Amino acid sequence: MEFKTVVFYFLSAILVYAALRVITARNPVHAALHLVLSFFSAGGVWALLQAEFLAISIVLVYVGAVMVLFLFVVMMLDINIDRIREGFWNYLPLGAVVGLLMVVEMGAILGSQYLGAAEAQVPQTAAGVSNVKELGRLLFTEYVYPFELASVILLVALIAAIVLTHRGAKKTKYTDPAKQVFVKAADRIRVLQMPAEKQD
Amino acid sequence: MLENYFPILLFILVGIAIGVLPIVLGWLIAPNRPDAEKLSPYECGFEAFEDARMKFDVRYYLIAILFILFDLEIAFLFPWATIFKEIVNTEAVKWFGFAEMMVFIAILVVGYIYAWVKGALEWE
Repeated sequence: MEFKTVVFYFLSAILVYAALRVITARNPVHAALHLVLSFFSAGGVWALLQAEFLAISIVLVYVGAVMVLFLFVVMMLDINIDRIREGFWNYLPLGAVVGLLMVVEMGAILGSQYLGAAEAQVPQTAAGVSNVKELGRLLFTEYVYPFELASVILLVALIAAIVLTHRGAKKTKYTDPAKQVFVKAADRIRVLQMPAEKQD
Repeated sequence: MLENYFPILLFILVGIAIGVLPIVLGWLIAPNRPDAEKLSPYECGFEAFEDARMKFDVRYYLIAILFILFDLEIAFLFPWATIFKEIVNTEAVKWFGFAEMMVFIAILVVGYIYAWVKGALEWE
C-alpha cells in the first residue's frame, strides 16, 4: 500500500470517528470540539487531493473562526441537555426525512458512476503549477463580479451582527489614569469662606 | 507535489506526540490516590461560588463574528497576493487587478468604520 493511501485512511478514520462523536456526544461543547477535529482531518484529506488553498482555508476559516463562534453560541445559550432530549420523538419524523434525503443525494453523487452518469471531470493540475495561483487567476478575472459581491455580503453580515447584538457600550464609571496624573490640589477641593456662626 | 507536504505531516505527528506523551507519562508514572477532598472543586481555598459553565456575555459573540468576517477577507487576499507579481507585470490588467482588490477592501472598510463608530470594538 502506498504511503499516501495510509495517510488517507488514517485521516478518514479520524474524520468518521469525529463526525460520529459530533452527533453522539451528550455535551454540546464536546460535540463542537469533535467538529473541529473533523474539519481538521477534512483539511488533511483535501491537502492529499492537492487542493491546498481549500485545505488552508478550512483550517483558517472553519477551525479558526467559525468553530470559535459555534463554541461561543453553545456557551451563550446555556443548553439544557435534558430539555433538548425531551422532544426527540416529536422531531424524529422530520429528522428522518431530512436524513434520508441527504443519504439519497449523497448516494446519487457517489453512485453516479455505477448508475451510468458521466464521471465528474476533475481537472488535473500540471506539475509545478500552484493551484492557489490558478484559483487567483480565475477569481480575479472571470469571477470578479461575484468576488466584489462577496465583500458586499460580508458588509451586510457585519452590519447585521452589530445591529442584532450590540447594545451600546456599557455605561460604567471608571477613572482615567491620565487625568488622575494631571490633577491639581485645587481641582480636588474647593475652600469656602463662611462666616462663623455665633453661638448663643 | 505531495512530497512538499511531508514536513507538515511530520510536524503534525510531532505536535501530537508532544501533546499526548506528557499526558500518557503522567498517567503511567504519577501516583494516583484520589479521595473526596482532592477531587472536590477548588477555588483559592474557599467553596466554589458557582458552576464554571456559566453563560457567556453576548459581546464575545460580536467580537467573534467580526473576527470571522475579517478572517474571510484574509482568505480572499491570499490568492490575490500569490498572483500579485503576475498582475503587476501584465500591462493589460495592471490597474484592473489592483483596483478590484481595492474596491473589495474599500467596501469592507465601510463596515469597519461603521463598527468603529458604533462602538462595537470597545469593551466598556
